[in-house]
Amino acid sequence: MLSEVLRTVSIVSGISVFLAGLLTLAEKFLLNYGTCRININNARQIEVKGGNSLLRSLMQSDIFIPSACGGRGSCGLCKVKVLEGGGMVLPTEIPYLTEEELKGNIRLSCQVKVREDIAIEIPEELFNIREYTATVEKIIDLTHDIKTLYLKFNDGDELSFKAGQYVQIKVPRYGKVRDEVYRAYSIASSPRNRKEIQLIIRRVPQGICTTYIFDYLKEGDKIVLNGAYGEFYLRDTDREIVCIAGGSGLAPIKSILHQMHEEGINRKATFFFGCVSKRDLYYVDEMKVFESLIPNFRFIPALSGPKEEDNWTGETGLITEVVDRYITDGSNMEAYLCGSPGMIDACIRVLRSKGMPEDRIYYDKF
Amino acid sequence: MKQDPILERAEKLMKPGEISSSGFLGNDNRKLVDILLDDGQTVASLNLSHEILADRMEELTEKAREYLGSPVLVDGYLEVTIQDSRGNIACPFQHMGMYPKENVHVLNVKTGESIQWTSLNIHMIREHGFYEGKGSPFRVDPLDLVRVLGIMA
Repeated sequence: MLSEVLRTVSIVSGISVFLAGLLTLAEKFLLNYGTCRININNARQIEVKGGNSLLRSLMQSDIFIPSACGGRGSCGLCKVKVLEGGGMVLPTEIPYLTEEELKGNIRLSCQVKVREDIAIEIPEELFNIREYTATVEKIIDLTHDIKTLYLKFNDGDELSFKAGQYVQIKVPRYGKVRDEVYRAYSIASSPRNRKEIQLIIRRVPQGICTTYIFDYLKEGDKIVLNGAYGEFYLRDTDREIVCIAGGSGLAPIKSILHQMHEEGINRKATFFFGCVSKRDLYYVDEMKVFESLIPNFRFIPALSGPKEEDNWTGETGLITEVVDRYITDGSNMEAYLCGSPGMIDACIRVLRSKGMPEDRIYYDKF
Repeated sequence: MKQDPILERAEKLMKPGEISSSGFLGNDNRKLVDILLDDGQTVASLNLSHEILADRMEELTEKAREYLGSPVLVDGYLEVTIQDSRGNIACPFQHMGMYPKENVHVLNVKTGESIQWTSLNIHMIREHGFYEGKGSPFRVDPLDLVRVLGIMA
């Protein structure tokens, strides 16, 4: 009886796999969607070869939608508003879309296939995003698991960005990685230097991108990236600034500090940088230099678990505890946070308890 | 045992370079269905369930999250540390949602033995009974897990 059931299941499964394969092959080789038109913001129209994803079709026309997973439908970042065409919302999109977004025709562009003429709406600033090729000038170890990359754009190219924004690195096929993927990293350098940028990258165990950067990428190699993206940048106000970061989250804060120095922004500012022990700490000397360059800036590194041999005399405790000790009234301050979701959520709770309004807390969650 | 198309697709996504650089199967040459069956039998033979193990892992992970990367001693014998990395990772079974790239390291200070897992491991154990293939860098062997955490049936 059991073997009969198993045999039937196997036969049905086999037929399903065969039919699914047949459909995929048919779509690949037999279906020709011809040329399709993508109407963007009712202002410009591009012609693309039908059959590809909306994300890829736009990318081939040099329009870059932020996407960290390279179009696998696993990051949920590549949202666009689809006004016409694009077919039904797929089950693969639903987990990434809120009720409101579904009602507002927001779709994941990596999941939408361009098989007919389609009309979309995207933020105007995405038209300014380009792909760049850069040369890896220098790779420096900052800690046991953090490196910094110095990238110089080729052919005199320049990237215009706001301090705090990020770029996406294209990771080519390497080793057993068969598809190109994109990963986002904040720019750590001055926005005034448009010919070169600096990225700070922490190794993700078994991560596709960081394994490439740590184990394959060499000085002198070429790297492709696009950008700049993001809404994490210094707001133009007179309020006191609180910056909080952990790990590689120091990157966008460092860029903001370059901006403050270069533009003569002398607002009172404190940067709380949380690490576990001394081996995780980096750029302390650079931060001391910023303290001397920016009149009202103070750098407060804190270790949550200093080792005896660290001989640490600075602040200790979780970064939330340190912030709690230093800030009494946050009601007229604004905050810039970069780090893990856990750290950011915990910091937001502390800042809110100090009277800081939520809409003045800006963050870049990993 | 013959595996259905869903597991076939999941096994493909578990290969190196698909979702993570080293994949989820290590040097285990068994079919995914057989890996699931074997680990399922191991857990059942201990009078435990995937859910019980996942619950304990989740409990320790939550504790570690509160300490933002600093080690915390739980129940007097488990030192738990979490390390966050940028980004999220998808489930190879194509389950909805994304899982933060968090590595949880647990040291049993009484025995000196340690084990590590990710948020995705907890999900895959709870929802799919998948502990990863032998030789995979993130395999959470159920016998090791039970021993290091001191879980009783």
